[in-house]
Amino acid sequence: MDLSLLQELNRALRGRKPVAVVTLTRGESATGMSVGEQCLVDPAAGAASMGPLRLPGAIAGQVLEIISGRESKALHIRTKEWEGDLFVEVHAAPSHLLIVGAGHIAVPLASMANLCEFQVTVLDDRPQYANQIRFPTADQVRAAPLVPTLQAMRNAGQLDRHTSVVLVTRGHQHDVDCLTELIGDDLAYIGMIGSKRRIRAVWELLESEYNLDRSLFNKVHAPIGLDIGGRTPAEIAVAILAEIIMVHYRGPQAAMSMRG
Amino acid sequence: MTGSLYPKLQQLIDDGNTVAMATITMVKGSVPREVGAKMLIHPAGLHVGTVGGGCGEADVIRAALDVIKDGEPRTVRVDLTEDISMDSLGVCGGIMDVFIERCGSADAG
Repeated sequence: MDLSLLQELNRALRGRKPVAVVTLTRGESATGMSVGEQCLVDPAAGAASMGPLRLPGAIAGQVLEIISGRESKALHIRTKEWEGDLFVEVHAAPSHLLIVGAGHIAVPLASMANLCEFQVTVLDDRPQYANQIRFPTADQVRAAPLVPTLQAMRNAGQLDRHTSVVLVTRGHQHDVDCLTELIGDDLAYIGMIGSKRRIRAVWELLESEYNLDRSLFNKVHAPIGLDIGGRTPAEIAVAILAEIIMVHYRGPQAAMSMRG
Repeated sequence: MTGSLYPKLQQLIDDGNTVAMATITMVKGSVPREVGAKMLIHPAGLHVGTVGGGCGEADVIRAALDVIKDGEPRTVRVDLTEDISMDSLGVCGGIMDVFIERCGSADAG
């Protein structure tokens, strides 16, 4: 790999900028491209690319389409000029996990999510809980009022389709306040802690007091997590993270061994 | 939700290493990892990441050591379709293509 391309790629990754590395993996071309040549495509810069590999316009368009699909894949090309294979390696902006509430579940959840390479934000209004010492691997720890901070994050574009939100505050009223703030957002995942009975009471409250339509609750994962029988905070964190990963990959809910 | 090996690659190159980077570019059937999964192969065995482990990965490491020597990028096909029995190691049932390229000081490109 070309060293200046590697530096440019690492700069983009640090900035959490979506880019793709395109590699010619098979085939030669009339224009003298050889196997192993690469270029870096930045969708923000349109079809322009950086590096020794020059992509014809039509192919650059296909590469942009693959980037927006967020999945790396091989691209077979056959034109009048040449025939070969490109590999488009997509570096999508990383998935973001926002944990609201910095209590017992948040600690193992933040650390496991970091292992699974989420970008992790922890939010709580109590600085004695929301601090970097308690969450050494979190990318961001914010000790600030909950709802105004959620609004500020939305305005900063941090609550998007690649953001999962876990509501595990110290009290249901706080969870409900955050939920009503976020219910209209287009998120990857939103889940809220609570027993079945408690959640039923929350839905009734939201319908009667907040005049929210019941269909809105369908997208809320509550009670939160996969049913793996966990009891300790760390085990519950596993169940929550497992559910987020399952939703991300649109996976089945049954255990691997129970699949047909 | 896969992180990136590229910061590690930069570090290895900055420390004067020549390594190979292997990337899964195509899969068919059941294989242990997905398209885009990567591994850095280090001549002294200090590898980073995985393309699935087992015999298939051992094949990739062997080919990668050749790539480190000759600098020729190439695709190797890893075939995991042998009969599923206790005697054959590393059988998942599928095949995958792995592209291997040289990175580092000996790399003219």
